[in-house]
Amino acid sequence: MSHVFSYDFRYDDNECETETSVAQAEVEDLVGDIYLNFVETGTLAQGGGAIDDSRHKLLRAKHEQFIHDAINGLPSSFTLLDASQPWFSFWCLNSLEILGCNISQQLRSRVIDKLSRLQCPGGGFCGGSGQLPHLAGSYGAIMALVLVGGNAAYETIDRPGMYSWLMSMKCPDGAFTMHAGGEVDVRGIYCALVIASLLNIMTPELVKGAAEFIARCQTCEGGIGPYPGVEAHGGYTLCGLAALDILGKTDLLRLDRLARWMSARQLAFEGGFNGRTNKLVDGCYSYWMGGAFPILQKALKRTRVDGYIYDRAALQRYILACCQDRRSGGLRDKPGKSPDLYHTMYCLIGLSLSQHYVGVEPKEQIADITSVYSVPVRMMQWGAMPASLLVLGLRSNVVKPVHPVYSVPYTPLASFVKHFYALPPLADQLA
Amino acid sequence: MARVVDEESDEGLLLPPMSEQEEWSDVVPIPQDDGKHPVCPIAYTDEYVEMTDYFRAVMAAGEVSHRAFELSGRVIDANAAHYTAWVYRKKLIIDLGLDISEELSWVTEISRRHIKNYQLWHHRGALLVLLLDPKDVEHESQDQRVQNPAIRNELQFVSTVIEKDSKNFHAWSHRQLVVRSYGIWDQEMAFVETQINEDVRNNSAWNQRYFALTANQSADEFVLSEELADREIGYAVDKIKLAPNNESPWSYIIGLLVRHAPAMLHERLLPKINELAADTDYALAVSNTPFYWSALVDIYEERAKALEGKERSDVEAFAIEACDLLAKRYDPVRAKYWEYRKQALQAAS
Repeated sequence: MSHVFSYDFRYDDNECETETSVAQAEVEDLVGDIYLNFVETGTLAQGGGAIDDSRHKLLRAKHEQFIHDAINGLPSSFTLLDASQPWFSFWCLNSLEILGCNISQQLRSRVIDKLSRLQCPGGGFCGGSGQLPHLAGSYGAIMALVLVGGNAAYETIDRPGMYSWLMSMKCPDGAFTMHAGGEVDVRGIYCALVIASLLNIMTPELVKGAAEFIARCQTCEGGIGPYPGVEAHGGYTLCGLAALDILGKTDLLRLDRLARWMSARQLAFEGGFNGRTNKLVDGCYSYWMGGAFPILQKALKRTRVDGYIYDRAALQRYILACCQDRRSGGLRDKPGKSPDLYHTMYCLIGLSLSQHYVGVEPKEQIADITSVYSVPVRMMQWGAMPASLLVLGLRSNVVKPVHPVYSVPYTPLASFVKHFYALPPLADQLA
Repeated sequence: MARVVDEESDEGLLLPPMSEQEEWSDVVPIPQDDGKHPVCPIAYTDEYVEMTDYFRAVMAAGEVSHRAFELSGRVIDANAAHYTAWVYRKKLIIDLGLDISEELSWVTEISRRHIKNYQLWHHRGALLVLLLDPKDVEHESQDQRVQNPAIRNELQFVSTVIEKDSKNFHAWSHRQLVVRSYGIWDQEMAFVETQINEDVRNNSAWNQRYFALTANQSADEFVLSEELADREIGYAVDKIKLAPNNESPWSYIIGLLVRHAPAMLHERLLPKINELAADTDYALAVSNTPFYWSALVDIYEERAKALEGKERSDVEAFAIEACDLLAKRYDPVRAKYWEYRKQALQAAS
């Protein structure tokens, strides 16, 4: 497999330099130097050459070590994330799971112990000891417990408490506040709906107005912003689109404009995605944007195009060549940046969703798609289609398939859902 | 062990640990509940551990005091994402009846170190409406409102941040909150234009242009008059001339017209961009940018919807041809996407 690497695909600034074009050129210089290393000898000409993609290698052992080092201790600079503690467990466990690494029973127990200490008496999880329950913290905690798996993890969760706390975060406009007295945006809706759909506590009252709020956040460019009026952004777009998929209401969006904006986020020279028009590439958008394509394409029904409507090989090339830190392990935003747990997990999810073509067979589309009670069916109808696997570089680079809406591999997700949808309706427990 | 408490203060006072300070002798600190073998433990500084241990105790007791207020500030400055400290601080400001303008100045001061933080901006927004209830200035003209010191200060603060970090997502969102809360729409377009002149590729500014133009009305409420549409087409085309390969003006004008005046795409925008493509000063740059060809696909596709028979299939053929050119020549990274658009066009015809 070879790909033509050409400087012709660098950003053309039309000789009109601005802050944006200068920053863009700096990143392209760094990325170009890396891609040059992969150009086949003898093909290098002034404008570029043929890239030998067979050499790309996922540095599994290094990344595993990077994650284990973090599990054992984080430097003091992580104090800035002291109010996001549940996320550490999510980032680490999900990265290990996607890579197919062993997760010891001891580690699982440590995560349960940590998260049970962050669960608040009135429901929900807080970001750190003694803090208020927070939607993002609760999302991180639930996702980590999905990955831990088993009854001890599941039974840690105060399900009725979570429901009443989520209801107390609900705003009149249909959205959710991140915590009591906190900010309101599309992220909150995504976190709340992921939690509620996983725990089998979705009710019409909880979801009321949420889909319409998200639709109001779609900008004239086509992407979704955090709040009506605010610029379209990759992270909020995945959140909004995934939340609408959970609700079975992606039809509320102007999907053709969304598709146009999303496809424009892939950068011609770098191959990775940016998160906003005229911004720089960042490895984390491999998930926030790359991972939004399966959901978009499900919403578009049959696209008749084989695979995703973005360049999968180019994205994998960017992740494998530019985002891996070859020395310390871990993955990063872009060359020149340090790796971290956040980018490690989101680059790996992006890699997985790019390798595996995940979707829903049209025959499996269910009739009563907008009912909150059809959630588990809708959730589990997603799957990877083996015929459309595309793995750049070594065959061994293939990682586990990931659910595009829930961002974790299918096996732990299915066990979690099976457990919570076997429980009696919440009304019985609240009574 | 002595340590610097306030690096900003002139005295550079070295204070003893809190456990040795008389002022805190009545408080029993609450350590972080971490268990024996926590995952991902952070190597906190001793100072951070101590201040958060005392802060947990103060919050658990629901203490309303000036020392609690001071302590919240230290915790926030050490970790601005400590949302609970911000919530507690706001409650203390209200309960203690503290001066909100002074608090905003403090936020301005620490913002230099925490400019990409969510909580800081949210705190400012919440305090601003406490300082100046939008209802109190409802009867005033927009000009009068903009002169109000609270509003003027806030706009000034946002401008200073945007000057340093022109695409700061929080700053632009906050600016929208101020403009929306106090209904000061008239001045916004001038600010937007200054920013676009500064960097014609600043998409946050282009997004703000739509926000200002529509006064944030919903897509159903806002009506784009022909006159306004012409003005916006003229503006976007002028900016396209500066650098044709700039996604922002294309994305703005196509998005605006598709949503609010689709017929204008073909009637007014198409002649303008064709004029550019034929002008020797711009022809090469325009025909080389994928945004030009992509605009043609959007325009022809929309146009075809209004036609029938041969006229329709002729226009669709133009759009399909543009898709092919994009996939093969001008925008190969999006070849799959253009193939999808082409198939959608073929299915429609």
